[in-house]
This record gives sequence, C-alpha cells and structure tokens, in this order.
Amino acid sequence: MNGDKIRAIVDKEIADARKNKMIVLSMLILPILLVGTVLGTSFFMVRDGGELDEDDMGIIPAELRDIDPMHAFLMIMNDQYLFYFLLIPMMMPVYIAAYSIVGEKETKSLEPLLATPISVGELLVAKSAAAVVPSVILTWLSFVVLLIGSYFIMPGPVLQAMIRPVWLVGMALLSPLLALLSVFCGIIASSRINDPRVAQQVAGIFVIPIIGMSLVVIAGKIFLSVGVMLMTAAITLAVDCAVLYVAVRLFRRETILTRWK
Amino acid sequence: MLKTEGLTKRFGDNLAVDDLSLQVERGEVFAFLGPNGAGKTTTVRMLAALIAPTSGRAWVNGHEVGVGDMDIRRSVGILTEAPGLYERLDAVQNLALYAKLYEVDDVQGQVEKYLRMLGLWERRDEQVGGFSKGMKQKLAIARALLHEPPLLFLDEPTAALDPEAARTIRDFIGEVKGLGRTIFLCTHNLDEADRLADRIGVIKQELIQVDSPANLRRSLYGRRVVVHLAAVTEQVQAAVRELPFVKEMQQVDNTLVISLDDPEAQNPIMIERVVAAGGAIRFVNELRHSLEDIYFTLIQDDEQGVTR
Repeated sequence: MNGDKIRAIVDKEIADARKNKMIVLSMLILPILLVGTVLGTSFFMVRDGGELDEDDMGIIPAELRDIDPMHAFLMIMNDQYLFYFLLIPMMMPVYIAAYSIVGEKETKSLEPLLATPISVGELLVAKSAAAVVPSVILTWLSFVVLLIGSYFIMPGPVLQAMIRPVWLVGMALLSPLLALLSVFCGIIASSRINDPRVAQQVAGIFVIPIIGMSLVVIAGKIFLSVGVMLMTAAITLAVDCAVLYVAVRLFRRETILTRWK
Repeated sequence: MLKTEGLTKRFGDNLAVDDLSLQVERGEVFAFLGPNGAGKTTTVRMLAALIAPTSGRAWVNGHEVGVGDMDIRRSVGILTEAPGLYERLDAVQNLALYAKLYEVDDVQGQVEKYLRMLGLWERRDEQVGGFSKGMKQKLAIARALLHEPPLLFLDEPTAALDPEAARTIRDFIGEVKGLGRTIFLCTHNLDEADRLADRIGVIKQELIQVDSPANLRRSLYGRRVVVHLAAVTEQVQAAVRELPFVKEMQQVDNTLVISLDDPEAQNPIMIERVVAAGGAIRFVNELRHSLEDIYFTLIQDDEQGVTR
C-alpha cells in the first residue's frame, strides 16, 4: 500500500466533493438535524420540567431509580440519541461510496485512473477513506457541538452520563469502523453494478442488516458497556478486513472497462 | 520497445483481436488504423496492461503483459478515447493527482512544465468543466506525459475537435515525436496518420498490413507521373509509348498518366521525348495516392480475400 497515492486520491475526492453543493448539504443535514433535535428536546424538557407518567417511569432501569426521574429520563433519551451518532458516519458516506467507482466510469475518468500504477487495494482503500474520513470528522464535530450545547442546557449528572467512557470509546473506535463497513459494502455495489442509481439503492440495502443489529442494542436487548463496545469494535474490524478482501476480489477491472457502457 | 506475438482477445464469442503480431521500434510513430470495432482500442488496452489477453504474448518497454503490469503502467502514457478529466477540479489539481499516482518526483515542476508547454498555464486555476474540447484534450495529453514515459498510446487524439484545436494537438504530437518518444497512435484521421506516422498498421480484428506509407504506395500503386499538356496528340502518345521504361500510360483529357519505376531518373528523358514530339508541356507532377486510397484498398482487399 502506497500512502502517497492513497492520500492523493483522498485529496482529489474531497476536493471534488467540496465543490458539489448537493453532497456537502446531504452530509451536513443529518448531523445538524440530530444535534438540533437532541438539544431542542432537552432544552424544552429541562425548561418546562413536568411530571413523568407511569409509562415514562416504567422505562427507567433500577440503577437510575435513585436520581431525579427527569434526569434519568434525559439520560435514557440521550443514550438512544448517542447511539444514532454512532450510526451517522455509517449512513452518510454510503451513497458517496456507492457512486465512487460507477461514477468514475460514467464520467469516463476511470480508464485513465486504472492505467496508472495503482493497485486495486490502494484504489478501494482511498475511495473508502475519502468517504469515511469526512463523515467521521463531521460526526465528531457534531458530537463536540452537542456536548458544548449540553453544557449550557443539561443538568450536571446528565452531562456526565453523556461523556462516560462507553460513548467516548464508541465515538472514537466503533463509529469509524462501522462507517468503513458500510462504505466497503457501498464500494462493492459500485464496482459490480453499472448504474449509479441502482448501485446506491443496493448499497442502501447492504446497510439495513447493520442498522437492524443496532436497533437490537437500542431496544435494550444488549446492554452497552465499555467491554461490549470494545468487543463489538474488534468484531467490526475483523468484518471490515474480510469485506475489504471481498471488495478487492470482486473488483473486475476488465469487466468495468469493457462491458459497462 | 513494443512487441506482440499472436496477441488475441475474445469477449465471449466475440473475437476482438485475432493473432496480432507486430513490433514497434524506439522513437517510431506507429499509426494503428482500422474501422470502428476493428480492435484498436482493445489492443491499446492490452498493451497498457488494462485488460488481459486471451492468448498470445506482448512485451512493452521490456515488461511482459500479464507479468509486469505495474511496471508497464509506470512506463507508458495513455490518452484514452475520452479525456476523462475531473471537471469540478482545476487544471493543476487534475494534473497533480496523476503526477502523484505516477510517482513523479517534482510534482509542481512537471505540472507547470506541461501546462506551459500546452498553453494552459494562464487557465490553471479554472475548473476544467469550463474548458473547450480542445483544451480538455490538451490537458489529457499533458496528463499522459507528466511522468515522461518513453512510450505513449494516443487513442483518437483529435477526434471531435475543431480544425484549429486538431491542428494544435497534431503539432504537439509532432513535437513529442521530435523528442524521441515512441508513439502508438490509433486514429480514424488518415491525413493525420500520413503526416505523423513512420509506419502504419491496418487492423480488422487481424492485422492486414504493416509498412511505411511510402512503401505501401509503391507496393499498391507503383509510381505515376501526370504530364499536363496543351493538347495530347498521336505523336506525343507514340513517343511516350516507345520508351522502354514506361510501364503503362493513360490519357485523361489533356493529361497523360504514366507509370514509371524511377521517376527521378526517367522523367527528364520522357519530358525530352514529349517536347521533341511537339508536346506543349504545362507542368508535370507525381500522382500521390492518399493514405485514404491505401486504407480502402487494403480493407477492400481483405474483404475480397486478396493477398498482396
């Protein structure tokens, strides 16, 4: 793997994406909506106070029964929102990744690119990194913005719950690895399907099982701890490597150049 | 520099290139001609290590196709049928990317050198999407040259360009040729091939003929001299026919078309005889068959199974 070549492609992809307002907007909209929703909801809940009804009390686990019910409710709500933060970088780049190969074919820039001394592995890693890096950075930035906003809105115990190790490990490790997984799936779709729209739709389907597993966690079927987070990250890393290997094996230079019109 | 032996490519049942054997020497401009679908682009893709041959072997710059593909890609430049530029990026960004991929040491220096050489330096910061077709083609040629490859594949370099842009590109190819680079030129523009190529190869799945345009003219048509007269008389015709070296003579209005083996030596004698027979010569020129004539003759011969 030649880092200079990978960086050159990543720089190109990012420079190209930055000049495409639709891509920039589509990447910004999800984190802005999520940060706005969390801060807005929390702000009104804290400001207006109010009593929790029996249904609300029912979802508060035993270990949080000793603290203020409103604080406990906010903690549970924020935990669910924070889980969505882990998923943002998985959803944001998948469409960019799905367009990455088939898009180059469509604009006829793929042939000169493949004529250079770059390996398939380098090309796919570069394309993946170009989709993942901005998404992860945007997610981290929006997490920081969320924490800054929460500092002014949330009660102390709630804020502390947001920066507990399980979330920091999740943001730092699991989030980028999940993003890579969805991007590799997107790239497989992009290098096997010769229509950009179909590739993007199929890439979206690849992500559904991953999101489904995430919902199991959100529904409380799996309890999130640092250990679970680290184990999930390790498994995701292994799956990432396997999917990248499959992506490289499935990339057919010749078919892409000669059969796709 | 470049050699193929029985190079063949099949796509399913479709035979794209059949048993191609040819050799291109260092510093040579080799024009590869043939109708659409004849296998020109497929041949270039095989030689540039983009696709694998079905059978046969090829060596490019000392590396065998299928064995040293990465070395081949490092040592050749390729201008593909479409420029394939990144339209939202500017000219410098487009070239800098490729300079890095080709592992060029002085990226900025090489980018500036070729942008200046092709007259694009003043527009270097503009998005390529706003460039004319000619400018895009120039930029694509610059991209192919950034790493100073000894062998350059040019696939239809002047297709779809206006005459002025086409001429600029042609002149630049001439300059590159002057620098001693080997050029493998696929083109439909026969005039372009005639001007630039040292040798031409005509392909229609299999190679029909390879030679220099001059040799092909001689072998297909011999050499013909056209004598333009005030009037063609019986005496003039008889005087020409009597000459032992005249192979054939035709009268077309007030001109005589005469086939000779060695016009440089035989013309003065022939002209002397015509004048002595009372012929009033207006001017004399050699009938030069265009490459288009050669091309169609070869293609028709191939279709009719004629071998020369």
